[in-house]
Amino acid sequence: MHIMEGFLPSPWWQIWWLISIPIVIYGIYKVTKLTKKMPEIKPLLAIVGAFVFVISALKLPSLVAGSSSHPTGTGFSAILFGPSITGAISVIVLVFQALLLAHGGITTLGANIFSMGIAGPAIGFAIWKISKKAGIMPMIGVFAATAIADLMTYVITAFQLGLAFPDNGSVFTAFSTFLGIYAFTQIPLAIAEGFFAVLLFSLLSKYKGSILQKLGILKIPTTTNIKKEVKT
Amino acid sequence: MSHSDLYAEVDKSAYTNALAKNSPITKTFFALSALLISVSASTFDVPGVVSFIVPIVVFIICTSLTLGLAKVKTHLYLDLFAYPTFMLILSCIVLALLFGSGTPLIEIPLPWTTWTIFKSGISMSINTFLRVESALSCLFFLVLTTSITDLCVLLRRIHIPQVMVEMSMLIYRYIFLFLEISKTMTLAQKLRLKRSGWLSSIRSLAMLAGSLFIRTLDQGERTLTAMNARGYDGEIRILDDFPSTRKTTLLGIVIFDILLITLILVTTNMGVVL
Repeated sequence: MHIMEGFLPSPWWQIWWLISIPIVIYGIYKVTKLTKKMPEIKPLLAIVGAFVFVISALKLPSLVAGSSSHPTGTGFSAILFGPSITGAISVIVLVFQALLLAHGGITTLGANIFSMGIAGPAIGFAIWKISKKAGIMPMIGVFAATAIADLMTYVITAFQLGLAFPDNGSVFTAFSTFLGIYAFTQIPLAIAEGFFAVLLFSLLSKYKGSILQKLGILKIPTTTNIKKEVKT
Repeated sequence: MSHSDLYAEVDKSAYTNALAKNSPITKTFFALSALLISVSASTFDVPGVVSFIVPIVVFIICTSLTLGLAKVKTHLYLDLFAYPTFMLILSCIVLALLFGSGTPLIEIPLPWTTWTIFKSGISMSINTFLRVESALSCLFFLVLTTSITDLCVLLRRIHIPQVMVEMSMLIYRYIFLFLEISKTMTLAQKLRLKRSGWLSSIRSLAMLAGSLFIRTLDQGERTLTAMNARGYDGEIRILDDFPSTRKTTLLGIVIFDILLITLILVTTNMGVVL
């Protein structure tokens, strides 16, 4: 989904930069707060960043707009840390990908941050929260959240490209053309990413449950928890 | 060349090229200003006109600086360009054939509709191709000559929040850790015949990915403990010993940028008319 360096003409790349910056600043503020509160969370944050880097570099070429199809990994990060922190992490990841792999770019960074780091994860996070409220099994919630976050990222990218390259003056036709080309590769990839996230989540809750508990994602029956429940 | 080798090569080049000892401020300033100006030139694109002068000038200057002055290996430079160019060509074909408006170039009757290829679609596609290639050459100049550590120090100098700089460095380290561990584990699985069939190789891949995450996390926690034991107080200190920035070079870059802007303004409306 990364739009290539220089692919978006003016004024679109500037506009996406302007939209993304305030959200990223809020994300940085949240990261600062979280790491001050729990310094031990830093390795997990960095690993999730490295994970997003590696997983979103596994790309299939897509016919669209200097772009490719790949899993995003940001849905999983949103479940762990919430969408704003994911936004801040994805800035770092996208800069590294632009610099080291020529995957994405500096001018198109704003647009890429918005689709992969902000909009996709925010929607995934909303789904995760709703499924948690509704009392659905966490694994199903994780699957839905990550798969839909991945798909939404591509819907947003198609929209960005449609705005920049309107077909015969119509943004909507261009949007549906781009979306149609993406759908071929992205729907199976999103499902695969969903399964993969479920696997990771189950492993994490098995071996690193204490961290998930600290982040307030899972409640694991430990002696302290049971004691608290007994008291109340 | 596989991906992991490629970015290890890029990283190596950033430390070993002929410009490695020059001030990162100069290199970053040059690359980013050239990038922003050349990409912004697209504001003046006219439908149906291929404006090729600015992107080609930028491309030639950046490429000759990278290969001539920084003495980066040519095959590495070409390898870096290969993949993005391949994708770019695919996308530009789509743009040329499906997009555009105004004067039609060819109309192909199909049983259910007429497929029109527009002049503006073709010019948009060629302009995009040129713009992307010139932007990539600026970006590659930066990465191939400046190391990520230098860029992190630079980020700190321009007062990017401490925690972001630190996370960048940790993520950068963990990317390589990730790749290292995955290489070892893939080898171990192969030795134990875990990749013998299609089904078993899928299962092995899932196992690899899961335990990779846990193992990297463990390693990360150990690193943090080690750092804490050495008096880590929430700030990774790196030696900030940039070579001094020569004022004349900076002035030269500013003049270059002004010339580039003038060139853009002068060559508006100039180009090949389709």
